Amino acid sequence: MISEKLWNWTSPVWLVVGVLLIGYLIVGRGRTQNQLAIYLLGLCVLVLSFVSPVGVLADGYLFSAHMVQHLVLLQVVPLCILLSLPRVKATKWFQSPRRDRVGRLLAMASIGWIAGVGAMWFWHVPLFCSAAAQRPSLGAVRDLSLVLAGFAFWWPIYAPCERYRLDPLRGIAYLFSACLGCTLLGIYITFAPLSVCPVFASPVDRIGILNSLYDAGLTPGIDQHLGGLMMWVPPCILYVGAIISLLCRWYSITDSTTEFVPGSAKSSGVSL
Amino acid sequence: MFPVFQPESPEAQAIYDLFILVLMISAAIFIIVAGLIAVALWRGRSRAILPKQDFGSEKREIYWMVGPILIVIWITAISAKLILTVNAFPKIQPPGDEMAEADLTVTGHQWWWEIEHHESGIVEANEIYIPTGKKLRVKLQSADVIHCFWVPQLARKMDVIPGRENYIWLEAGKPGVYQGRCAEYCGNQHAWMNFKVYALTTDEFAKWESGEKVAPGTPAEPAAVAGEKLFFAHTCSNCHTVAGTVAQATIGPDLTRVASRKQLAGGAIENSTENLVRWLKNPQAIKPGCKMPNFKFSDDEARQVAAYLESLN
Amino acid sequence: MSTEVATQYELIEVDSTTGLLSWVSTVDHKRVGILYILLAVFFLLIGGIEAVLIRMQLAVPGNTFLSPEVFNQLFTMHGTTMVFLVGMPFFTGFSNYLVPLMIGAKDVAFPRLNAMSFWMLPFGAFLLYFSFLTGAAPNAGWFSYAPLSTKPYSLGPGIDYWLVGLIVMGVGSIAGAINIVATVLCMRAPGMSLQRVPLFVWIMLMQAMLIVITIPPLNSALALLCVDRWLEAAFFEPVRGGSALLWQHFFWIFGHPEVYVFALPAFAMVSEVIPVFSRKPIYGYAFVAGSSTVILLLSYGVWAHHMFAVGLGTSANIFFSIMTMLIALPTGVKIFNWTATMWGGSIRFSTSMLFAIAFLIQFVIGGLTGIMFAAVPIDWQMTDTYFVVAHFHYVLIGGVVFAIFAATYYWFPKMTGRMLDERLGKWQFWLWLFGFNGTFMVQHFLGAMGMPRRVYTYADNPGWALLNGISSASVILMVVGTIVLIWNIVKSLLHGEVAGNNPWDAFTLEWATTSPPPETNFDSLPEIKSRRPVWDQQHPEYADWKFAKTPEDSGRRPDRAKVCAWAFVISEAVFFVLLLVTYVVFNSQASDDGPSAETVLDVPRTAIFSGFLLASSLTFWFSERSLRAGRRKTFLFWLGTTILLGIVFLCGQGWEYAGLISNDVTIDRNLFASTFFTVTGFHGLHVTAGLIALAIMFTLGRKNHLTKVHSKPFEAIGVYWHFVDVVWILVFSIIYLGAFKL
Repeated sequence: MISEKLWNWTSPVWLVVGVLLIGYLIVGRGRTQNQLAIYLLGLCVLVLSFVSPVGVLADGYLFSAHMVQHLVLLQVVPLCILLSLPRVKATKWFQSPRRDRVGRLLAMASIGWIAGVGAMWFWHVPLFCSAAAQRPSLGAVRDLSLVLAGFAFWWPIYAPCERYRLDPLRGIAYLFSACLGCTLLGIYITFAPLSVCPVFASPVDRIGILNSLYDAGLTPGIDQHLGGLMMWVPPCILYVGAIISLLCRWYSITDSTTEFVPGSAKSSGVSL
Repeated sequence: MFPVFQPESPEAQAIYDLFILVLMISAAIFIIVAGLIAVALWRGRSRAILPKQDFGSEKREIYWMVGPILIVIWITAISAKLILTVNAFPKIQPPGDEMAEADLTVTGHQWWWEIEHHESGIVEANEIYIPTGKKLRVKLQSADVIHCFWVPQLARKMDVIPGRENYIWLEAGKPGVYQGRCAEYCGNQHAWMNFKVYALTTDEFAKWESGEKVAPGTPAEPAAVAGEKLFFAHTCSNCHTVAGTVAQATIGPDLTRVASRKQLAGGAIENSTENLVRWLKNPQAIKPGCKMPNFKFSDDEARQVAAYLESLN
Repeated sequence: MSTEVATQYELIEVDSTTGLLSWVSTVDHKRVGILYILLAVFFLLIGGIEAVLIRMQLAVPGNTFLSPEVFNQLFTMHGTTMVFLVGMPFFTGFSNYLVPLMIGAKDVAFPRLNAMSFWMLPFGAFLLYFSFLTGAAPNAGWFSYAPLSTKPYSLGPGIDYWLVGLIVMGVGSIAGAINIVATVLCMRAPGMSLQRVPLFVWIMLMQAMLIVITIPPLNSALALLCVDRWLEAAFFEPVRGGSALLWQHFFWIFGHPEVYVFALPAFAMVSEVIPVFSRKPIYGYAFVAGSSTVILLLSYGVWAHHMFAVGLGTSANIFFSIMTMLIALPTGVKIFNWTATMWGGSIRFSTSMLFAIAFLIQFVIGGLTGIMFAAVPIDWQMTDTYFVVAHFHYVLIGGVVFAIFAATYYWFPKMTGRMLDERLGKWQFWLWLFGFNGTFMVQHFLGAMGMPRRVYTYADNPGWALLNGISSASVILMVVGTIVLIWNIVKSLLHGEVAGNNPWDAFTLEWATTSPPPETNFDSLPEIKSRRPVWDQQHPEYADWKFAKTPEDSGRRPDRAKVCAWAFVISEAVFFVLLLVTYVVFNSQASDDGPSAETVLDVPRTAIFSGFLLASSLTFWFSERSLRAGRRKTFLFWLGTTILLGIVFLCGQGWEYAGLISNDVTIDRNLFASTFFTVTGFHGLHVTAGLIALAIMFTLGRKNHLTKVHSKPFEAIGVYWHFVDVVWILVFSIIYLGAFKL
């Protein structure tokens, strides 16, 4: 049956997920229910992106599935992990000067931006894209580098400690420009006449599903279109969502108290 | 009267259904919003006191966006589904001879349409004869600028773009005459770039096809013979085709069957001997800016050329 | 830099406050704003006359009132005029007048730049309208789709005037927008944190940012078309390998955000008018403001919904459909918040409020038909018909123009010191309401009847004559309404009721000063502790800061020269990105048609010259450091070295060009040559401009005018100079490294 072949239950991703889960349960004390839920969500998505048909098809069949996997690794997983880190504990952890230096380094917007957008661009240079798709070891390097780049990218926005985060307005510019970066790559992939990743143009039919894929309309041309759109739409929607959350953060810097308690209001306006 | 609302093909029908649905949703939204505004104004019309200074509530902002978000997702989903259906062309596997897949090639010219039937090789201008009930694959291409092929009752619009081939389905559910138009501004005479689709029953279509294959008539009456001389003396053959003669150019419409057409000049005038003569005498007076120059034929000359053209059919 | 120069020329300032010359030479933001508005009114009349002529021609079928040539010129000029000479100036004018007042500033950040931006506009308008005198006004539509607008299909000079006019106006708009951005970010009065600015200011800031990034795509498209038309390249000529769709992409990357360049200010105006006449603060300030930001971001990703009918393919259709649907949400947020603002308010039905209410309802109609178009299959049927004409006129007249009228009645007292007559105002309102809806509502039905846009006449199809007749006849009401408005303005200026400082009991700072405000705007400012400082002053017992806390002002303001430089650099970056995209589009496929990057470029040699340019960034940094340290000699030395390095780079470029041209690789040879010369040529122009700026700095430095305290303008030029280098790195890696073989 084809549907059975499309699931890869023996993927090594289980090991990674297992380690991550145990690690989080040990390290992440002081987490809230929501944070645990977000973390589990991130892990689920991670597992699905390798075990489900997405993962199988990404392995040499479909460029678009491969792109979904990238997005999960670069955007979703790091974001979920960052959001799930308990604030208080992380703040304490980053008090040691050496760790603080790492935190501050990551907080530099240029590093995160170049890591996030650069990783996407770098792994879609036809040469590297094909090489990574053909050699499993290089593929693992790519996956790891994507997750790390994702961390660096989201750090200035959602770092667990307030002091590493960008000022909301700068954060918006950061995300918007990254969105443009993705858009350009998406346009390039969608409309490029050449094959971005030659491996997917002529797949090796490992498990005999190629013809049914073509019959379903997923020819290499269409596949690349879809891949380009995956690069383009979901990240942009995600970024716009993040921008909205930043705007909320910005407007609510002191907006939280709407009740006026007589006598407690400080007159703090600067008089001319 | 409302061709968009009188679909005669499955594709046009599906688009019409979607349109009506979205129209209803929109109407409902409009009534709700306008109603809320009206109530707010009515209640606040003569309030003299200073109203409560309300700065808003985050919760309410989120609640009232739930509806719009769901509606947007719904409309997007159903329209995406329809996009997939309408755009579903037979897959070309392996990619290759796309020509063979098209039943008709329609070429947009400034300001007329050229239609070629692939199987029979019949060439028409501004009139498309199709068999009813058959889904035809139409290849659209342009000879000059961007045009747009649109038969509201039968199919979606599709731009006709130079340097590019676009494909659409054309199908008529029942026999009839369907008005088509160029919908993209293409210069001076964009207004008169109309065409008609004649959907015939299978028998009639076969009859029409065989009729088109009959060799063109030869001019016999003296007027027509004189007209033939004028036709070739006045460089008409530099732009037009008349089957079986040296006139084989494709800048203007093929004139072999011009007498059988219902309209002339992209729908600007009905086809009659009088109108044909009028057109020949000064095309610029009827369709200013069109590519056919004024040959300054005298009355008699124009009649002779018209007689020649009508003798061909 | 401009502040520097400003002080120098202060001495020869014409000292007059009245008379024509004072208006021509003015740098006062209020006067410049009024000049903008007057220009817009003038062209509103011109564009209106064009519209009336169009409707007269279409009133009956088979009409011969206008020839097709004239009709096509009229609708082209109507569109172009309304977009570039009415919409943009109106809003820039209001923004110019009101933004500094609302944030409690004395003037805009760069008054002289402001005046220059304005005067670019009549200059561009003159170029555009001069085309009528040549006998061939542009006639390819305001969108000028290629290849109709290329030489083979538009031989006359009309399109050339159109191109040059638009470039001039575009540059002016960008300069004006940068000014607004710098003003809002740098000139706010103490206490006015960015989260406290009136919504008008915030939304106009968004609009100005949108202009900064949305005009450059137009400029690059125009530049490419100029190269096509004047230097015989073939970017847009499919016969010679070009692409007809590239123009559409570029044009709509500009064209769709442009719609929001109009819609946002309309939102901004209504967001001030509705609360004041409901006697309530705006409901959900953060949501109205934030949704504007989201609109700004999304508007950049929806351009191809103008191109659903070109056959982009299923995936692109779905993508742009999703994005377009998404943009409806932030707009919906606004509608809800305005409604909620009126809810429970005490409504004063002034003319201004009536226009604002009509705006709301009509904008909803335009928005809903917009949603229909976002559902792609409906667009496939209805696009390019009169349904579209109705849709966008509902947005642009029913929405935007009505908002402008609301703003006119609201702020006229502030600008002139006199009230407009309410009775005449209501006459105008009802005339316009019926006139507008009569004209455009029926066009929805015409679209469903299959009437295409941009036709100069039509056959007598059933129903068409009647509806077109109704449409044309209703125009008369709008014409009469406009005459009533003009009469109202004249009457009010002659003997209108005196307005006083705050006739509406309004909330924002412009009402805290006299009407019209003095040259320096304020004698004293009320304390700014909330979003409605004037309200707090008038109603101390209900002062906002007691009930709703807003983020405090940190007191930090960025340097305006730097803000200006960054905004300019961003706008230029967009321009170059699009040029580079053009290069990639036309060179990603190997073609054996003439020279290519692989065959003609000398990569190592250019690499060496690139080294000179990159080194100049380093030397510039040294000179900047020396300036800040106050070491004048070393400063001049490093600055001189920078200039020399730049010149060496340009010489290298010249060498390369000479070699190419002598090998007959010229710009009209093939698409590689065209794209190569266009991209590197524009970069060269920017280097040259940078060098001129550096040379001016050098001269100022030699004369000791540039010292430690004045280092900011110098740093701003540094931003630009580094940017030029970064662009070169991109150009070099895309064009040269892509072609490099060992």
